[in-house]
Amino acid sequence: MAERTPLLRAEKVVKHFPAGLGASVKAVENVSLEIYPGETVGLVGESGCGKSTLGRLITQLLPVTSGNIFFDGVDLTKLRGEKLRQYRRQLQMIFQDPYSSLNPRMTVGDIIAEPLENFGLLRGRAKDQRVQELLKIVGLNPYFNNRYPHEFSGGQRQRIGIARALALRPKLIVADEPISALDVSIQAQIINLMEDLQHEFQLTYLFIAHDLSVVRHISDRVMVMYLGKIVEVADSIEIYRNPRHPYTKALLSAIPIPDPEIQSKRRIVALAGEIPSPVNPPSGCRFHTRCPIAQLPTPCADQEPPLEQKARDHRAACFFSEKVPVAV
Amino acid sequence: MTQPALQVKDLKTQFFTDDGVVQAVDGVSFDLHPGETLGIVGESGCGKSVTALSILRLVQEPGRIVNGQILFRGDDIVTMSDEEVREIRGKDIAMIFQDPLSSLNPVLTVGFQIEEAIEAHRKVPSKMALSRAVELLKQVRIPAAESRVHDYPHQFSGGMRQRAMIAMGLANSPSILIADEPTTALDVTVQAQILELLRDLNQDLNTAIILITHNMGVVASLCTRVLVMYAGRVVEEGPVERIFKEPQHPYTWSLLQSIPRLDSDRHDRLLSIEGFPPDLIRPPHGCRFNPRCQFKIDRCLHDDPPLMNVGPDQDAACWVTMRRALAPNGERRG
Repeated sequence: MAERTPLLRAEKVVKHFPAGLGASVKAVENVSLEIYPGETVGLVGESGCGKSTLGRLITQLLPVTSGNIFFDGVDLTKLRGEKLRQYRRQLQMIFQDPYSSLNPRMTVGDIIAEPLENFGLLRGRAKDQRVQELLKIVGLNPYFNNRYPHEFSGGQRQRIGIARALALRPKLIVADEPISALDVSIQAQIINLMEDLQHEFQLTYLFIAHDLSVVRHISDRVMVMYLGKIVEVADSIEIYRNPRHPYTKALLSAIPIPDPEIQSKRRIVALAGEIPSPVNPPSGCRFHTRCPIAQLPTPCADQEPPLEQKARDHRAACFFSEKVPVAV
Repeated sequence: MTQPALQVKDLKTQFFTDDGVVQAVDGVSFDLHPGETLGIVGESGCGKSVTALSILRLVQEPGRIVNGQILFRGDDIVTMSDEEVREIRGKDIAMIFQDPLSSLNPVLTVGFQIEEAIEAHRKVPSKMALSRAVELLKQVRIPAAESRVHDYPHQFSGGMRQRAMIAMGLANSPSILIADEPTTALDVTVQAQILELLRDLNQDLNTAIILITHNMGVVASLCTRVLVMYAGRVVEEGPVERIFKEPQHPYTWSLLQSIPRLDSDRHDRLLSIEGFPPDLIRPPHGCRFNPRCQFKIDRCLHDDPPLMNVGPDQDAACWVTMRRALAPNGERRG
């Protein structure tokens, strides 16, 4: 993996949102990451951890406060106007809510054709043909192009959103909780579709979700975020077998396994308290206020643990990563 | 054999809409025993929430219970007067909902709302109501309950709001607590805390719990018995170990195969249930699952299967059943 060049590289990305009275919400703090061509990287964490903000920074839907985002070696944060717009073609997004992410007044055909028109790529019959082809690719009837979003179910709408994202033949797709609004039996359809499309079109995915079992299924590598920081990155099987950050461990243990026998034997690592405010995050390791193995005050409350190599292709930000108990 | 705490018999709840009659709950029957934890699982629109609302007669227009009995201590909730139902509601049978933010009144303190629940059924001096509210908040593990009781809902986090809802539900020590997707809006670590709380309450207070959810993992961690619903019907019922280990209805089986599991090392393709749930104004003929079922036989297309015994204490509404569907020697008919 080391010789490959990343498709996307984020370097010390920071995003602060003003919160009034001079305070700011520190949504993303000093995050660096690489995404390699053809892989699926899962990004997990609980609500408010900054995972969606990070996704939007990567797709340039939000400007960074500081830091750099390189795509194919070009720093997107330095581009403006038309130059940046041309790069947007390569970076598309699939959204969580298949209801609010489709304009109810546009036909499905117009929704999917809009990106093609924005970039002046195809016109007339060629455009219609491409729209029908895209509908077919995502498993919908190509003659649905004259219908409106409200005529479709949640799963079908998500397919429309995927068709729109594919229209410009992007290299990287950021999928922000693409299945969490869908019913269980429909979730598998969408996951399978995304996997098929990845193989067919050599796509690279950043898959953002709070459900670690779904993320683990679809991803090659998983990144865990807590309060604006990446706390662990590893291969998706390795992270489950051998978590090196106590937060990952707690997150894993909290996910119920659909098997009453196994479930009754598991021990949940209960976290004390609530997620602290990102306006005023804890000093040192941001997790120290809830960590079951923290050593206070030194070093956990006064020094920040770096995200460092703990094993092959496995990085974690914890001073005591060897003390994290093994999986179930 | 103990007397059931609640018996639902052939319940039918329908919604009379402009487009036609939606058969949301269509002949649901089950018993709930004292102290039991019963899970009702299914996807959106399967009728699980309407079943729960029917038990407390909370179904709103244009919905109506059109058939069946809901027996609580020998009395039929369906035919009770509004006053009689109000006596039971919140006192003997309490309910908590998915979204704690919209179920709490934002302009009243949490304590006031818990006191209100107590005073709805008992005349108590306000000092006592307050101390009971604090006690309840402690029971649901709200830190610094004495001061937090005076907080407004917006000052609570999502998990704390759900705890406050549970405290309100427990205010009159009900014998049955109905929890409709109580953890769906919460993060997994908070979900784990709430499930643990419900488990402890069930064990310590012997409150029977009906847990309504779409999450099989949540059922596996809390329930002893499960009803699986599809398109307004119970398609399978049994002890939790049987349902997860040897599901007999193809819908239950497919649902379990379609969820990625944290403990599986394989990166296999997920089984997907093709199509989507039917329109309940015009449900399919025969078995309602047949348009999506990969194991159907001719009989399924016209003959509606009733719940039949398929194992120890386990019933399924299927002509084929997974035992036969997965049998290697082509035992299947049709």
